[in-house]
Amino acid sequence: MTATLTPSPVANTLSSQPPAIRADALTRVVPLGDRQLTILEGVSLDVAAGETLAIVGASGSGKTTLLGLLAGLDRPNSGSVAWHGEAVSSLTEDALAKRRQGAIGFVFQSFQLLPALTALENVMLPLELAGARDAEKRAADWLARVGLGERVDHLPKQLSGGEQQRVAIARAFVADPKIVFADEPTGNLDTDTGAEIVELMFSLNREQGTTLVLVTHDPELAARCGHVVRLARGKVVS
Amino acid sequence: MNLVLRFVRRELRSTEARILVLALAVAVASVGAVAMFADRVKGAFANQANVLLGADAMISGDRPLPETFAQTAAAMGLKVTESSRFGSMISAAARDAASATARQSVLADVKAVAAPYPLRGTLEARDARGERVPLVAQVKPGEVFVDERLASRLGVKAGDVLEVGKNTPRIAQVFAEEPEVAGNFLSAAPKVLMSSADVAASELLGPGSRATYRLQVAGERAQEFAAAIKPKLGPGQRLETIRELRPEVRSTLERSEQFLGLAASFAVFLAVVAIVLALRRYLKRELDTATLFRTLGAGQRQTLMHFVGQFFVLALIACVLGVLLAFAAQAALAWAVRGLFASALPAAGWLPLAKAFATGLVLLLGFAIPPLVALAATPPVRALRRDMPTVGSGGVLAAVLGAVAVLAVVLMQSQDWQTGAIFVGGLVALVGVATLLAALLLWCIRRLVRSGRMARLGGPQSWAYGLANLDRRRLSTALQIACLGLGVMTLITVGFVRTDLFSAWQKSLPPDAPNRFLINIQQDQIETIQSLVPKTANGKPVAVYPMVRGRLVAVNGKTVTAKDFPDERAKRLVDREFNLSASASLPPANKIIAGDYYGTNDRGVMSIEEGIATTLNLKLEDRVTFDVAGEQVEVRITSLRKVDWDSFRVNFFALIPEATLAPLPKSYITAFHLPERDTQTLASVVNAAPNVLAIDVSEMMARVRSIVDQVARALEFVFAFTLLAGLLTLYTAVIATQDERRYDTALIRTLGGTRSQIRSSLIAEFTTLGGAAGLLGVAGSVVLTWALASRILKIDFIASPTVWIVGFALATGLTLLAGWLGTRSVLTTPPIQVLREG
Repeated sequence: MTATLTPSPVANTLSSQPPAIRADALTRVVPLGDRQLTILEGVSLDVAAGETLAIVGASGSGKTTLLGLLAGLDRPNSGSVAWHGEAVSSLTEDALAKRRQGAIGFVFQSFQLLPALTALENVMLPLELAGARDAEKRAADWLARVGLGERVDHLPKQLSGGEQQRVAIARAFVADPKIVFADEPTGNLDTDTGAEIVELMFSLNREQGTTLVLVTHDPELAARCGHVVRLARGKVVS
Repeated sequence: MNLVLRFVRRELRSTEARILVLALAVAVASVGAVAMFADRVKGAFANQANVLLGADAMISGDRPLPETFAQTAAAMGLKVTESSRFGSMISAAARDAASATARQSVLADVKAVAAPYPLRGTLEARDARGERVPLVAQVKPGEVFVDERLASRLGVKAGDVLEVGKNTPRIAQVFAEEPEVAGNFLSAAPKVLMSSADVAASELLGPGSRATYRLQVAGERAQEFAAAIKPKLGPGQRLETIRELRPEVRSTLERSEQFLGLAASFAVFLAVVAIVLALRRYLKRELDTATLFRTLGAGQRQTLMHFVGQFFVLALIACVLGVLLAFAAQAALAWAVRGLFASALPAAGWLPLAKAFATGLVLLLGFAIPPLVALAATPPVRALRRDMPTVGSGGVLAAVLGAVAVLAVVLMQSQDWQTGAIFVGGLVALVGVATLLAALLLWCIRRLVRSGRMARLGGPQSWAYGLANLDRRRLSTALQIACLGLGVMTLITVGFVRTDLFSAWQKSLPPDAPNRFLINIQQDQIETIQSLVPKTANGKPVAVYPMVRGRLVAVNGKTVTAKDFPDERAKRLVDREFNLSASASLPPANKIIAGDYYGTNDRGVMSIEEGIATTLNLKLEDRVTFDVAGEQVEVRITSLRKVDWDSFRVNFFALIPEATLAPLPKSYITAFHLPERDTQTLASVVNAAPNVLAIDVSEMMARVRSIVDQVARALEFVFAFTLLAGLLTLYTAVIATQDERRYDTALIRTLGGTRSQIRSSLIAEFTTLGGAAGLLGVAGSVVLTWALASRILKIDFIASPTVWIVGFALATGLTLLAGWLGTRSVLTTPPIQVLREG
């Protein structure tokens, strides 16, 4: 089933512009022993620039797989993905990586901070990989924005879960991405901390005008998004 | 680059990175120490070549040189000097007849020279403050220069009178050093310089006397002279120039460097095991970094370059650390063998440093590159799928590249691909056998635990748990035991050789074995000598054997020269003169193994020692021609003999019938046992026959013992790296299991296990591991030393419980320490933290 999302006012105004993300008949099959397992089948959707999309579904429904395909981290067996009109699923691995540099941000459930680097160094990483010269200043600014201006030299093990996720959020936004993907961003946090993180993410998203796509089990978080796609057994159900 | 350096700075806080750096540093240090030491020794020759020669070129021979050589040199405008060199007993002139029999005589290295001497370099004396100053005076007829050692041993000084053969020269100078000292680093005889004009009157050189005759030249055209003279050299004549100084010593040095280099390779081999183990854990940890890099937009190439850069920096740090360690180690090596060299060694050049650096870079990058390539290809989707299979270690390519890296280092050390290949093969086989033995040991332990005997013996259950841990990681445990055991084995063996084995060999000699040899006895002196020296056990005068010096010049009618033999020993035998003797009956300590010993009526035949025959490719019925003082003597080999050289009797490689020997110019030799407290006999002999040389076997054995001792110490230093590498391997293997241990310990503690019980199980585990390694090391050492004693030295095997206990305790103690350091965190980490991390 194809998800056709209700165009947002922003999307209406910019309807002549291609969607931030377009997925067309995505299918993902993985080998499991001597048989094949279809994780996603024929998923299509458009996400307009600046929209927030939640992908929801039960465990094993294919949410994370879909996120991976939309983010260019994985390749579909068939179908295509395009960002702002540019097809990305047919690019080589290195070309895809290049497209992600500075254009895509990620927030993970397990934060994925490098334990040997300080908070500042973790946030600097995307900029340094892209060869930016003012990485340190920009990273420091972003840490201040997420409320960790005084924790720049702390290692992840010296930060609480919520603080680590703030660092991860700063890292996701520091390169001014057009799209941010989040995989269960509050999954490892308690309710109160999770709420703070959600609030921070959405406010930054509004300020930066990024397109936000997130996977979540949390119905309240999903409700905050402009659009919701529900998956069941690898297919869009609503 | 900033990113790489930042990562390296952070990574150096991790145990895996530190182990990688340390293991590599050990490998670099062991290679670098040997390379630097060898370079210093070679530098002592290369840098001082012309001073060591005392000239720009030198011709030497065991007979007086043709006059045409000196004439040719003079015609080329070169400075020329001729000299001869021989051994002689020297004593202080006696004041009266009574003191004549009580004074000491010293065997000295005498050089009879003609001015100007030396042509290059100078003698050095000491001024009033004891500082060395050049000595420019020339020795004149009627006087001698002696070195400080001779002056000290005889208790004489400048102005005193010596007895040199029949001469009584005055000591004109005492010198500290003269050219050629450093080149002759194994010679410990004190030195005397006399005038060539005094040799005839001294009557020191008679028929059959052993002397070296030399012509030294210096000047611009010296190399031209050398090239012109070289084709004209006859048998027994050698040419040495600055460029080709002492080829036999150079060859010995190269062999020694090769041996030490291979010994150091042992440490490299073990260090590589530690590197591989640490690398696996390091790369597993870096998987998250690689995943994140790929997610954040770094391509495969960028990711690979980052990690390669990281490892390059780590390798550089390890190389610097290793080189610093190598500096210290080679200084210790040089100190350990300082007695072998007469002067200080020069500093090492840059090539050994380059060699050490190359070792570090080749090893780490050789092992790291393939798995890094695999790491850089980590699919970015792993950021979402943490349960994806981990990156491979590079597969077959990694193993091949790693093996090539190790082989490259070993080949660099051995300087010869065949030796290197044999060494690697032997080492792999040795580690394989040791691992199998270790596995067998573990099987016994397993049986002990499972049978419940441990509990019946009163051991706590925690011990059984500790031993079961060893069993759970069988291959890793067996490898650890093997590596550590080999390190212990090498150290115990070398230590044993240095201490007990040599002493045991000395003690195996009969108490009345001859300890004094008299050579250069003339025919008319035989009766006098026999009357002066102690009689044999059955009251008879000591046997005196004739000795004729002859050079091998033809075999089966075909002329032979040193060039015809590839073997170095064969070349030396052909280049120098044989000592031929005669004995009517087969001498004691000799056994015929082929043919028949000649009878009293036989002529023109020879009995030859089996080892020499093999070296020179001689067999029964071969006709051998010797040149004896210009006369050709042909003999036919009719028997091969086996000689017991350990009997310390007078023995000869070649025996010919008395009738064949009789007309030839000869001297005589004898050997006898002199009680240590007897100081008069030798003085009497020297008085009666000043041309006779007395060789003190005890003194020579002490010198050999000292050399063996110093060489063994040097080996101990090199093998210490092996032990260090073995310990690092153990530590790394323990660290590799740390996560698993932490989880197990957390579970046990959650289920009620106490820290004391866990501590007890760890102690049991590592004590058993170390004990097994110690047992393997001691057992291996026993086998090695038994083989050395029974097969090579032919003595009874001597048990050395002290060395075994020390070796066993060392292995156990060090293993316990390394194991404890690697696992103590499992006791201090709160269980809840571990269980949350999952």
